[in-house]
Amino acid sequence: MPSENRIKILPKAVVCEESSLRGDITFSSGCVVHPSATVIADAGPIIIGENCIIEEYATVAHRLEPGAVWDVNNILSIGTHNVFEVGCQVEAAKIGDKNVFESKCYVGPGVTVSSGCVVGAGIKIHGSQRLPENTIVYGEQGLQREAIDKQGSQTLQIDFLRKVLPNYHHLRKPNYDPKKARSVV
Amino acid sequence: MEIPDTYYSKDEYVETASGNKVSRHTVLCGSQNIILNGKVIVQSGAIIRGDLANVRTGRYCVIGKNSVIRPPYKQFSKGIAFFPMHVGEHVFVGEGAVVSAATIGSYVYIGKNAIIGRRCVLKDCCAIEDGAVLPPETTVSSYMRYTARGTIEGGQGNPYFVPAAMQDEMINYTKSFYEHFVRAPAPAS
Amino acid sequence: MSFMQPSPVKYACSCGILNPINTLFFCRHCPKLRCGFCVTHEIESHFCSNCLENIPSTEARHKKNCCANCFDCPCCQHTLSARASTVPVVRKSEEAKEPKDGDSKGEATPPVPASSKPSAVPTTKKMYYLSCLSCRWTTRDVGIPDQGVATGTWPDNECLYQARFNALVEYFQAVVLQEKQEKLEFMRRKAPKQHKFPSLTDRTGLTVSLIRRQIGWNDKAPKAKAVITPAEATAEVEGLPENIFTEPLNLRNVTTITQRHSQPADQPTAVGSLYPQRRSLWIKRSLRCRQCEHNLIKPEYHPTSIKYRIQHFASYHVPEVVMVRCEQPLVAGKSNAILLKLTNPTIYDMTIRLLTASPPEDPQLSTEATRVAKEEPISSSPLLKAVGITLSRQNSTREVKRDVIDISNAEIVPLESEFVLNQRDDSKEFDEDVQLSTEEPKFIVWRKGNKVLLRLQFTPAEELSGLADVVLGFYMQYTYVNTVNNAQEKREPTTHVLHSRVFITAGATEQKAN
Repeated sequence: MPSENRIKILPKAVVCEESSLRGDITFSSGCVVHPSATVIADAGPIIIGENCIIEEYATVAHRLEPGAVWDVNNILSIGTHNVFEVGCQVEAAKIGDKNVFESKCYVGPGVTVSSGCVVGAGIKIHGSQRLPENTIVYGEQGLQREAIDKQGSQTLQIDFLRKVLPNYHHLRKPNYDPKKARSVV
Repeated sequence: MEIPDTYYSKDEYVETASGNKVSRHTVLCGSQNIILNGKVIVQSGAIIRGDLANVRTGRYCVIGKNSVIRPPYKQFSKGIAFFPMHVGEHVFVGEGAVVSAATIGSYVYIGKNAIIGRRCVLKDCCAIEDGAVLPPETTVSSYMRYTARGTIEGGQGNPYFVPAAMQDEMINYTKSFYEHFVRAPAPAS
Repeated sequence: MSFMQPSPVKYACSCGILNPINTLFFCRHCPKLRCGFCVTHEIESHFCSNCLENIPSTEARHKKNCCANCFDCPCCQHTLSARASTVPVVRKSEEAKEPKDGDSKGEATPPVPASSKPSAVPTTKKMYYLSCLSCRWTTRDVGIPDQGVATGTWPDNECLYQARFNALVEYFQAVVLQEKQEKLEFMRRKAPKQHKFPSLTDRTGLTVSLIRRQIGWNDKAPKAKAVITPAEATAEVEGLPENIFTEPLNLRNVTTITQRHSQPADQPTAVGSLYPQRRSLWIKRSLRCRQCEHNLIKPEYHPTSIKYRIQHFASYHVPEVVMVRCEQPLVAGKSNAILLKLTNPTIYDMTIRLLTASPPEDPQLSTEATRVAKEEPISSSPLLKAVGITLSRQNSTREVKRDVIDISNAEIVPLESEFVLNQRDDSKEFDEDVQLSTEEPKFIVWRKGNKVLLRLQFTPAEELSGLADVVLGFYMQYTYVNTVNNAQEKREPTTHVLHSRVFITAGATEQKAN
C-alpha cells in the first residue's frame, strides 16, 4: 500500500470533505460523494467512472486478500452512472455502468456486476458469480429477474446535488485536470 | 421490562433549552433546516440530511445510533426535487435504520436496521420490524406491522401484531426512554 | 419495547392463556380479563391499506374484497405505482404510440408538459404504466398497453374458467341461500330471538337478505332451483411438448410458487403471463366479550383514524406489573429478590396483595357469576341451546375454560401485608417528588404518584439445572372500583376484589458458583 493517500478528483466532481477516503482513488467528473461515505483502496487503485453517486455510510472497498500486497496494476474499475445508496457495502471485483446498489446491500468480493443491475435493499450477495446485464436482485430471499430495459440515469439528481451540496459542505478541491495534465506531459 | 438507564457523558451530548439531547458525534447537515420540537434524542452516529430538504420532528422522538434520516426525492421530467420530511410525535427510530419516508405519523416504531424507502408513508400507530425493508412508495396504515419478511399484518382491532393501545405504549416508551437517558454522574474527585 | 420483544411479565387470561398485558382486554361487565382468543372478532369496516379509502361492506363484497384502484406486483407482491411517460402523438395516425424511452423511466408526472418548442404544436401526451419499485417489474414487461389515465382503466385478467367459475358461484350461493332459508324457517318456529349482529364468518353475502327478513320485508328469494352441468373427468391428457426435453430451462422465466399462488385463477408457469393483481382489502375489527356480548374495543370507521369509540384495554383497568431487575444473579436454590414496579391505571386507589395461593372468590362476584352460569351457560337464548344449533355465528358463547398451567419454579416469600396503590393523577406528573408521611411497609422501595417499586424475595427451585428460565408465579389480588353495573337498581360504583395470576420470567439461572 502506498504510504500516503493519492486522491485524484477531476473537475466537476463533488467530493465532500467529511467522507473517508483511503488509498489511490480517482473520481471522474460528475461524481458525487456524500459526507460519511467511505472508499477504501487497499489492494490497488480504484477508478470511479463519471456520474457516480456514493451516499452516506456507503462503503466501496477494494480489500486486500489474505497474504496479498498492494499492487498498482490491480485496478478496481467502476463504470459510469452507478449509484451506491445509503449504507451499502460493495466489494465487487468489477462494476459496469448504470448499476444501483440499494440501501444496506452487501456485494462480496468475487462478484462481477455487469451493467444495468439493481441489487435490492438489504440483500447480501456472496461467493463468486457474475450478474448478467439488467439483473434485478430483489426481495427478502434475493430472487433474480431480468428487466426489459436499463435503469434510468441519475443525471438529474447529480445536477441538483452539484448545486446544493457546495452550499452546506466543505468540498475537496478538484486537483487533477486531464487537459492540463496532458499539456504538461 | 423496565428500560434500564442509559448514561451519556456530559461532553458527548448537547442539551438544548427545549430538552433536545443531541450527540456531538452526529452529522446534522444543514442544521438550519432541521427542527427538533423538543425532548428529542439524537444518538451518536446518526445522520440527518437537512441540506437536501427540511426535516421536522415532533416531541419525544428517538433517533437511534447510526441511523440516517434522509428526505426523499422525486424525479420529474425536468429535474428532481427533494421533499421535506415530517416526523410526528413519540416516534422511535431504531439503530442503523435508513429512513427516507415522505411522512411519518405519530406513535410509530421503526426497528433496528429497517430500511424505509423513498416517499413511503407511515401512518400513526404503525410498527416496522427490525430489519424490514420497505420498497419506495409503500404505505403502512395505522395499526399495521411491516414484517421483516416483507408482509403487512395486523389492522386496528387485531390484537396480535400491533397492540391495541399502541398510542399509550409509544407515549410511555418514548417518555421513559427520555427519562432514563441521563447524564452520567460526575466522577467523584 | 414490550410489544416488539417477548415480555417477561405475563397475565393469565380468564380463558387460561398467558398473555402480556398489552394484548389483553378487560370486560367491565364480567369483570374479567379477555384475550384475542376468547373474544368475538367482528368486521368494523373495510379499507384499502394502500390508498386508505374506506369501502362500504356491500361494495367490498361486490368487488370481491379487492381495491378498485390499487394493484399488487405479480412478481414480488409489493404495491405497484403508476408512472407517467410522455409519448409523442403522431397527428396522422393514432397507432404510433411508441413511448420515447430513454429516461422516461422512474419519472413521474411532469409539472408542465415536457416539450414547449413553439414549432411542435402539442405533440406529447402523458401515458401511464404500472411499475413496481421493489423488483422493477412493469406492465410493459408483459405487454400490457399504457393507459391514458392512471387509475381505473386497467383491464382485468379474465381467465379461461371465469364463466364456469361464475356459474358455480351462482349455483352454490343459491344452494346456501336455500339451506339457510330452511334453517331459518325451522328456527322461526323454535326460537323467537335472533342475533343482533352480522358476523365475521358470514361469507356468503346473505346477511342482507337475512336482515330484510328480520325487518319483515319479503325477500326476493329465488324459488327456482339453479342447475349446473357437473364437470366431467376425462382420461385423455395432452402429452408434454417435445421441446421440454431438449431445450435448456431458463429459471428466470419460470414463476415461483408464491407468484403462482398470488394469481390463483390461472397460476401461470411463465413470467410472461404474470398480471397485476388487485390489492386485497383490510378490515378494522371490533372485539366483543363472548359472555356478556359487550364490546371490548370498537374502532372509529375511518381508515386513518387511530381512535376508538370503545376501548377497554387491560392496561386501563388492571394494575400493571413491570419487572425492573433481580438483585442478584439467579442461582438455583439461592434466595434472591426481584424488583417489581406496579402502576395503578385507574382513578381510584387500589389495595393490592400478592398471594401464593388462590384467594377466595369475591362472594358477591362469584354468586353473580354462578348465577349467570346457571342461567345462561352457553348462549343468551336458552332455546337455541335446547335445539342444539347456533346461527352461523362463529362464536358459540360458550367459554372454553382451561386451567392455567402453573409454570412457576421458584418459591416466593409472600409479602407480609397488603398495600395501597394510589390513584392515577395526571397533574401529579408535573409535581416534585412528594414525600409520604405514612409508614411504609418494609418491602416498598419507593413510591411516586400511582407507581410503587417493591421488593419481592424468592428462591429459585433447587432442582433447576443449567440455563433454565426462572419463572415466578403469584396471584395479584386488587380492589377494582367498577363504575358500570349489571344490576339496574344500584347506580353508585361497586368495589370488587379481583385477582389475576401473574407469571414473571425472571431470566436464566447461572451455573452454581462453586
